[in-house]
Amino acid sequence: MSALALGAGIDTLDARVDAIAAGRSRARKVRYTTYLLVFIVVAWTVEAIVISDTDWSRILNGSLLTTLGRFLELDWSLVPDLWEPAVETVLMATLATLAGLVLSIPVAWLGASNITPFGKVSYAVGRFLMTMSRSVHEIVWGLIFVSAVGLGALAGILAMAVRSVGFISKTIAEAIEDVDPKPLEAIRAAGGTKFQILWFAILPQIIPVFVGNMIFEWDINIRRSTILGLVGAGGLGLVLFRQMAMSNNGGIAVVILAILALIVLGEVVSYYARKAVI
Amino acid sequence: MHTVLEVKDLRAGYADREILKGISFTLNADDFFAIIGPSGAGKSTLIRCVNRLVEPKSGEVIFNGKDMVKLSPAELRSERRNIGMIFQEFNLIERLSVMDNVLTGRLGYTGTVRSVLRMFTKAEIRQALVLLDRVGLGEHIDKRADRLSGGQRQRVGIARALIQNPKLLLVDEPTSSLDPKISREVMGLIREMAREFHIPVLCNIHDVDLACEFCSHVIGLQDGIKKFEGPPARLDKRALQEIYAMEVL
Repeated sequence: MSALALGAGIDTLDARVDAIAAGRSRARKVRYTTYLLVFIVVAWTVEAIVISDTDWSRILNGSLLTTLGRFLELDWSLVPDLWEPAVETVLMATLATLAGLVLSIPVAWLGASNITPFGKVSYAVGRFLMTMSRSVHEIVWGLIFVSAVGLGALAGILAMAVRSVGFISKTIAEAIEDVDPKPLEAIRAAGGTKFQILWFAILPQIIPVFVGNMIFEWDINIRRSTILGLVGAGGLGLVLFRQMAMSNNGGIAVVILAILALIVLGEVVSYYARKAVI
Repeated sequence: MHTVLEVKDLRAGYADREILKGISFTLNADDFFAIIGPSGAGKSTLIRCVNRLVEPKSGEVIFNGKDMVKLSPAELRSERRNIGMIFQEFNLIERLSVMDNVLTGRLGYTGTVRSVLRMFTKAEIRQALVLLDRVGLGEHIDKRADRLSGGQRQRVGIARALIQNPKLLLVDEPTSSLDPKISREVMGLIREMAREFHIPVLCNIHDVDLACEFCSHVIGLQDGIKKFEGPPARLDKRALQEIYAMEVL
């Protein structure tokens, strides 16, 4: 490409090419050394806490299969008693998601840096609420609400609602931060108020994220509500807990199958709901 | 002067709506063609049918002695390396550096593994540097593309197209996102580079004045039909009314 080598002298050009090539190869080395170090740490972790800390003889002597076999003697007599808790589980998840959504709106408003009302202070409050909701496990939220409002579905619903706020409000806040600012400018230029900007320029842009994440969270809450029964919060989880207390392995397996069926159903519903709305 | 590109009775569109209704023209070495016409006339579709970013319905696109329309996917990829493209919205990868953006022009010649590792040859880096110096960005090679102004971004786009060592340049509304002064600079740069490296150019442009100033030959499209073809000098008021008839009425 000597025809292209105009202007700068060949020597300085060569020097620049060398410098760039050296810089690129250095950046590559740093990148792959980092990957290698990460790999070594992972390998070491696996060796230290999985390989050497597991009782392999127990796994290899066949007791695993015996245990699995005990669960395969399904206790179908339980099925008639599962309908009501299953419906309760779905209703709990739905109510919890809706309540979580209502709680998420103000939190997202506080935690979106571009619309937060009182600058850094309200932004920090919003972000703190999101983190708090997410950093406490739903079982722990469940225990807190069981002691507050007693055993039953209400405690489970409140626990899931509070736990949902973290995810829903965080994704809404981030969607608000990523909106295209041009429509906002147009509404502002037309003399719109802050609320009108929110309603006409921001809301239409975040609807797809909003609806998609709501459905996703609902789907997660169905799973959560089955587990929350363990702390006495009603639904299928409570039945599961009772079967475990009775050491009825076949019954446990049937309840787990029911939970699986419910989650598959939720997956189907959310697929069509997503298609219809977005 | 030899023929580089020959388009014969090119048709494109969908069953219910034809976008190109039988376009033919011939582009020779050293030609700088402008395609003008109102919005929706099919300018973008025409240019994209040449490298088959849009699949034509029928007709022939003879480039480099081959009919592009009949090429297999692998042959098409290999032939696309010989056609540089410059875009209206620049189509840069915003998070990559200027240097990396220009080097993406060489991906057609780079294997998968080497491209993942971003291992371009020294000769390629050298050519990128020379081109970036030529388009006036020699000082900006390490900047991220999204840090540049519109005019600078289009210059990166030009360097990326040229590093392919193309035998043809397709240019799609290069100035629509730029102000008038920068537009003239960018058109001037494209013409200068095309002359220097003897690359013929096929350029969509809605600005008739820019087309007449920088191009050697004009094709006027309206509603998928070629309404005018000739040198800018022949593009008088009547010809323009013919091309833009729908807008005048």
